[in-house]
Amino acid sequence: MNRDWNDSVETDDLGRDRDLAEALFHLDPASQDPKYWPRFRTWVMNGATLELARRRMITQMTVGDVVHSWARALVPTALLAAVLAGILLWRVGSVPPMTVEELLISEIQGETIPMMASPARSFEAVTFASEAF
Amino acid sequence: MSLNTFEGPTDGELVRRARKGEELAFCKLVERYQRPAYAVALSVTGRHEDAQDAAQESFLVALARLEECRSPERFGGWLMTIVRNRSKNLVRRESLRATDEVPPATRSRVPTPDRIAETRELRGLLKKALMDLPEVQRQIVLLHDLEGWKHREIADRLDLPCGTVRSHLHFARKALKHALEHVPGVPEMMRAAR
Repeated sequence: MNRDWNDSVETDDLGRDRDLAEALFHLDPASQDPKYWPRFRTWVMNGATLELARRRMITQMTVGDVVHSWARALVPTALLAAVLAGILLWRVGSVPPMTVEELLISEIQGETIPMMASPARSFEAVTFASEAF
Repeated sequence: MSLNTFEGPTDGELVRRARKGEELAFCKLVERYQRPAYAVALSVTGRHEDAQDAAQESFLVALARLEECRSPERFGGWLMTIVRNRSKNLVRRESLRATDEVPPATRSRVPTPDRIAETRELRGLLKKALMDLPEVQRQIVLLHDLEGWKHREIADRLDLPCGTVRSHLHFARKALKHALEHVPGVPEMMRAAR
């Protein structure tokens, strides 16, 4: 019990029940072991060491540190991406170029509309409409 | 209304410094709230070891989640909520454990065997009488009569109206005294233990 009870007279506080307070004091571990609370505090502070250190580290980081920590991950990743892109471009460059028309009709089965509608074929409106739509 | 009735820096100031990893600030918060945290944990668990574990762990949880304390000035109330929740979890987990040991360091310090027996018996009776009270009354009577908190402080930190705190305290004291007075030899034991 480490508080001053005298000011309870000035407030509406019920004030201290001395008998009960003294009885309850036996529930305070310090009643049996005066060094209990310093030990308690030491235990908590030991447990908090890593978290406090982490917080200090975050607070002390400068813009340069942040950029540097980013750069450590970013530079190798960017290099790897550039190498991959280079390989892909090199492989694409070895394939002969296709025209737009070839690209449009590549892998499409059957005849395309322009071929069907070409003057070489006999014009039949019903066939054209059924195939086209 | 300022919630800070302690000497030195306010809770808000200490919380802000602890967020930056300042060891002294966190140590001050532990020093300020270790007893109330233990009292609240004891009021829930009813066992010294569980109360000690719950209170200590609560400080570490509070430190890890310090950013979640939206009103640093109300750190005490926020911490007490953590203590209550952790204590309840502990009780759930260890509900089968029945032993109630005195702190190891206390075992060899008590002067005489008679005194040991008396103190232990009184402590046991007090705990039993306390555990018969509703949880909120246990917390209030321990914070008020053991830790010396005022009604207003308890009301602020447990988020209860001041009148409710006063009423709970009144009934808790009455029930405790009634329970203890009717155990043969306890009033004398309380006097002898002083």
